[in-house]
Amino acid sequence: MPPQVQHLLDTLTATPPLESYLVVGAIMFAIGAWGALIRRNAVVVFMCVEIMINAVNLTLVAFADYLPNAGGLGVSYAVLVIAIAAAEIAVGLAIVLAVFRTRRTVNVDEVSSMRG
Amino acid sequence: MTLAFAFLAVMTLVSALGVVLSRNVVHSALLMSASFLGVAGFFVMLNAPALAAFQILIYVGAVTVVILFGIMFTQRPQVRRYRTIVNRQGWWGFFVALGVGAFLAYVLSAEDWGATRAGNGPREVAAFGRDLLGVSPGSEIFILLFEVASVLLLVALIAAIVISRRKTGVGVDRGVEE
Repeated sequence: MPPQVQHLLDTLTATPPLESYLVVGAIMFAIGAWGALIRRNAVVVFMCVEIMINAVNLTLVAFADYLPNAGGLGVSYAVLVIAIAAAEIAVGLAIVLAVFRTRRTVNVDEVSSMRG
Repeated sequence: MTLAFAFLAVMTLVSALGVVLSRNVVHSALLMSASFLGVAGFFVMLNAPALAAFQILIYVGAVTVVILFGIMFTQRPQVRRYRTIVNRQGWWGFFVALGVGAFLAYVLSAEDWGATRAGNGPREVAAFGRDLLGVSPGSEIFILLFEVASVLLLVALIAAIVISRRKTGVGVDRGVEE
């Protein structure tokens, strides 16, 4: 096997560094923040919040796997974050349904008043 | 590993962009589950296979189904142009998000993380379970966090029922008839 091919194979099978996971998490967080800022549909805003939560989970697990003093506890924190995100999506969709029942819309620009 | 990483990164980020930019809400929900599948693949690469299973069960399964139910109850046929799905702050939001993303990526990659290497995570499910229940040394706080999370889930369950419940005698559920 020629050395160039061996070098290419080594590059392709190398373990990616910690920074690559962190950068993917940061870009995913920014995409979710963009969507939560600009979309009008409340359900899509919830999806974008879930994407941001997943980006943070990815960062936590990457730290837990790469930092020697972390003790792998980031994975346990990620489980708690998943539980809280599930609670958030249940309550949030219940609020969206209640708003839709009284206002006939889920457009967040039109639901700016707290009065029922 | 680099090949798998590149595939998962492209899948996750392109699907996340599709959630933001898709004009069809159902497409947004399905692309969101694809993005979560990519994150589950990252969890497998990061030595957390049990967490990847949680991710697929909860996010790809349950959250996507709940959001599809929400879409089913709340959407009306509407004109699907970008003017109608994106509010007036589209470009400002883009620049804010670009700034946040560039800043986070710069700080996280410029920071010196010391001697890092892969494989420190709790690869075995038994070790992961001991961490989560606060049995292993250094993770005692998780006894408290586990209990608080269970109470929080109960509160969220009751709150979801109370908020979305129809008032008795206030007429039919108008979300169904369309």
